[in-house]
Amino acid sequence: MRRNVNLTCLSSVPRRYASTLAERNRASNALIYLNKPQEKAQKEGQLSGLKIAIKDNIVTRDSPTTCSSAILRNFVSPFDATVVDKLHDSGAEIIGKANCDEFGMGSLNTYSIHGPVINPFAASQDASNQERRSAGGSSGGSAAAVAAGLCDAALGTDTGGSVRLPASYCGVIGLKPSYGLVSRWGVVSYADSLDCVGVLAKDVDTTSSVFNTITGYDTKDPTSALPGIRDAASTYCNSRLEQLESSLKEGRLDGLKIGIPQEFFPQELSESVIHRFRQSVKLLKERGASIVPVSLPATSYSLSAYYVLASAEASSNMARYDGIQYGERVASTDPEDLKKVASVYARTRSANFGPEVQRRILLGTYALTADAFDNYFLQAQRVRQLVKNDFNNVFSMPNVNESGRSVSTESVQKVDVLLHPSAIGAAPLLDEAKSADFALDSYVQDVLTVPASLAGLPALSVPCLSTDSKPDSRLEWPIGVSIVGQWGADRLVLAVGKALETATRITT
Amino acid sequence: MFLRLGQCSHLRCSLRYRAFHSYRGVQEDSRWPGYQVIIGIETHAQIKSRHKLFSNALTSEPSDSTNDHVVVFDAAFPGTLPKLNPNCVDLAIRTALALKSNIQKSSSFDRKHYFYSDLPSGYQITQQYAPIATNGYLQIPSPNLSSEPIQVRIKQIQLEQDTAKSTFNPRTLTSQIDLNRAGTGLMEIVTLPDLRSPEEAGAYVRTLQALLRAVGSSDGNMEQGSLRCDVNVSVNRIGQPPGTRCEIKNLNSVRFMMAAITHETQRQLKLLAESPFTVPQETRGFNEDTFETFKLRSKEDAPDYRYMPDPNLGVLSISEARIAEVKAKLPELPWQMRDRLKSIYGLSDKDTEVLMKIETVKDVPFDGRIVGTGGSAVDYFDALCESQKRDPKIVFNWLGNELLGQLTSKKASFTENPINSDQLGQLIDMVQDGTLTGTSGKYLLRHLLSNPSGKTARDLAEELQLVAFTSGTANPTASPSSPASSELDSLVQDAITALPKEVAAYKSGHQGVLNKIVGWVIKQSRGRADAKTVRIELERVLKQ
Repeated sequence: MRRNVNLTCLSSVPRRYASTLAERNRASNALIYLNKPQEKAQKEGQLSGLKIAIKDNIVTRDSPTTCSSAILRNFVSPFDATVVDKLHDSGAEIIGKANCDEFGMGSLNTYSIHGPVINPFAASQDASNQERRSAGGSSGGSAAAVAAGLCDAALGTDTGGSVRLPASYCGVIGLKPSYGLVSRWGVVSYADSLDCVGVLAKDVDTTSSVFNTITGYDTKDPTSALPGIRDAASTYCNSRLEQLESSLKEGRLDGLKIGIPQEFFPQELSESVIHRFRQSVKLLKERGASIVPVSLPATSYSLSAYYVLASAEASSNMARYDGIQYGERVASTDPEDLKKVASVYARTRSANFGPEVQRRILLGTYALTADAFDNYFLQAQRVRQLVKNDFNNVFSMPNVNESGRSVSTESVQKVDVLLHPSAIGAAPLLDEAKSADFALDSYVQDVLTVPASLAGLPALSVPCLSTDSKPDSRLEWPIGVSIVGQWGADRLVLAVGKALETATRITT
Repeated sequence: MFLRLGQCSHLRCSLRYRAFHSYRGVQEDSRWPGYQVIIGIETHAQIKSRHKLFSNALTSEPSDSTNDHVVVFDAAFPGTLPKLNPNCVDLAIRTALALKSNIQKSSSFDRKHYFYSDLPSGYQITQQYAPIATNGYLQIPSPNLSSEPIQVRIKQIQLEQDTAKSTFNPRTLTSQIDLNRAGTGLMEIVTLPDLRSPEEAGAYVRTLQALLRAVGSSDGNMEQGSLRCDVNVSVNRIGQPPGTRCEIKNLNSVRFMMAAITHETQRQLKLLAESPFTVPQETRGFNEDTFETFKLRSKEDAPDYRYMPDPNLGVLSISEARIAEVKAKLPELPWQMRDRLKSIYGLSDKDTEVLMKIETVKDVPFDGRIVGTGGSAVDYFDALCESQKRDPKIVFNWLGNELLGQLTSKKASFTENPINSDQLGQLIDMVQDGTLTGTSGKYLLRHLLSNPSGKTARDLAEELQLVAFTSGTANPTASPSSPASSELDSLVQDAITALPKEVAAYKSGHQGVLNKIVGWVIKQSRGRADAKTVRIELERVLKQ
């Protein structure tokens, strides 16, 4: 039954269902394809009864996978991604596909053939507050679908912050797991060495159960962490959780060491973010956690390194969309063009890739040319290693995934997790995002999220307490705080996230 | 880190360039006196694995119907990822061992980018920066047979993907793409510029072909495209630095390759005659109809492939244990086999070559599987000699002359030989111990070729009444009352009755007449009686 693919999209959805889901979706544009409602009961499993949306760059057999790109406008994959199989097997109901930035490239979910995602947070506020704000990107549709209550959870992908940033803007939980824990088979590659499947949900418990379902070694993914490495990380992580168990049960964090990386407070950080971040720190401190200032000196280079590496890999991964196998070929009217093979590709690609994808292809292509390779790509790889070393230096848990790397013996304070703001500000206005010089500004949105991506570490964004003491309405928009752990410490990160969530709710 | 090493090795190459040049000293060639040709070869050999390099799709034969062996990865479907086939790695290790190369403990894969319709993903996965093996050599026979063998240095061996096959239809102006070949594993084997003539280049490729087949890593079939060569050719005046090289792409037979080198040499000589250092660096093709090379693109048009480390495949680590395991299973290499045949069995150079040239295994088995003994002519020979129990020279005579001669006259190849080594061995033993005469032995061999049988040679000899007659005196071990012996007695009596004149003549002293009587007996025995025994028996009877 799942083989029957209906491309007519929303119009074909039965009326009653459409009136609920499709209408509720209209305000945010979070979902771009709705599956037919399930007539039969789902399989009994861990996620029975849970409604889940899938980001449109994760392939599904029973719905199109467009990656929000004109070049895959009519593409239906012949197979399901491993994560989709796992969700089906666990009894979850997949409600449809979520809007995103084209191939996951973007921070505001404005680069989409399906149109921008509108942050649904406004709708839940009083009617006078009708600003159209970004839901963040690139998993903006996934975050907005959760925030708007269209589903219980959504899968996103996170290459440089694409789960954590929209989670922060939309006021939901967003987990980017450790690189290699969740299979990428069926995830349309943007930058393979950074891409992670992430989870967005209303609360940490749902996030945890979806993550527990989709994680696991997959022979189809050559970067999937091997069982031995998973076990080694679990052993460290579990023994730390056992030590903390008794206090965690009482909602306390006695003995937990949280590091605050000093480099994560750049000039661009808004006042309100600093204010609300401090509140979160205070909540954690009140519950017994010790707060330690730490330094990750390579952080200032990480954004540049990230954009070189991610763009280089993107330029490579986008090469297959050439109008020969994928993408509608754009024919030339100029007979001279037919003589050159290159113009066949150039026309199709110019017509079907959006501005941000084109920008990154050009940037990445340049970084890989023989003349630039050393100064850009190799230099960025060196920076990436420095970023990894920085993290390894501050975590008390060893990085079991980095064999043979010497860890500095400097006597720095070791911590369990790091805490920093998820974004430099609240969701930007969509009108602002349209201005020409915003393209580069939007890269700055990722400055706080890319270090964990470069190092492949688990990071969880949890909404901060809202500040009701100030009259500035802008402060009411959600802001997230990120908890980052050592590679494989996903459960520890989720446990701290749960404690912070609980503390925040009690306070509210 | 590998990237750094890769760059260092580029640097090392340029420093060593002088060394390339002087490696073999000056080789004068009467076709172009005063000049020297320097040749280096890149060979692409398809790996003989059942599956492709990074997917579980089957590899294909040219006869397979198009687009039959394709999985989603081969067609570059979005969301697919590569998975390295360990058999391809093991076969590359075999090749590297046979080419005396340094197998790298860690190597890695890179993407080489270009847009072409036969490349679905827009990049080929290869090993640009850290190949699986480096610094080997291959010893080849000198085309000038009186000279010493030539040691050709192997710069590196790298694993990479083959492309799809594109067929252009000039009538409809369309290209058709067959993805069967897309993603098949290739070994690119790169020499240093150590070759000095078209003939040496030919000898190198033939030696390499034989080697790849012997270790089972490729069937090395140039006609079917499982072995392709790119050749770099430069010409310089003797005493001058090396000339500018031109690369001739995609040569698919040894003959075409040699013709291409000859033409390219002459073309460059003409340019050099006009003024020195005028050969522009180019990539050239070869026209199989005119036997000429032609320009494909100049150095300025050379594409920038934008090599990037593959972010999915990571480091390929090869342990000493894995190398040892592959080494233990490495089939005998051609030169080892040659030495062994000569030293253990004392075969002559000529006999050794005859034995080794017998085309045996028609198809190289997949994934380095070893076919049981008896597969090749040398295995067959080894089985027959059974650790020197049989005289190797006699065995070679039966195998190399009789069996092969009979097969050739039937226009059959050695693979079609229906006689197993036990049968032929017993046949040889029976001839050796006198149970069969040489004539009967050859008859039995022919019979077995025409009527293949599972019976032993001895059973068949008896069934066909080929067992030689023996006499009590000639062969004291045989019982005089044995049926064969009594049969000889009666034949002798028949001869005396049939040839009374000759018997009388003999008895009256004409010794020479006995030959006629012996001949009559042998004829009547259909070769079972041998002349010596019959003569002794006749003499004995007639003296009575």
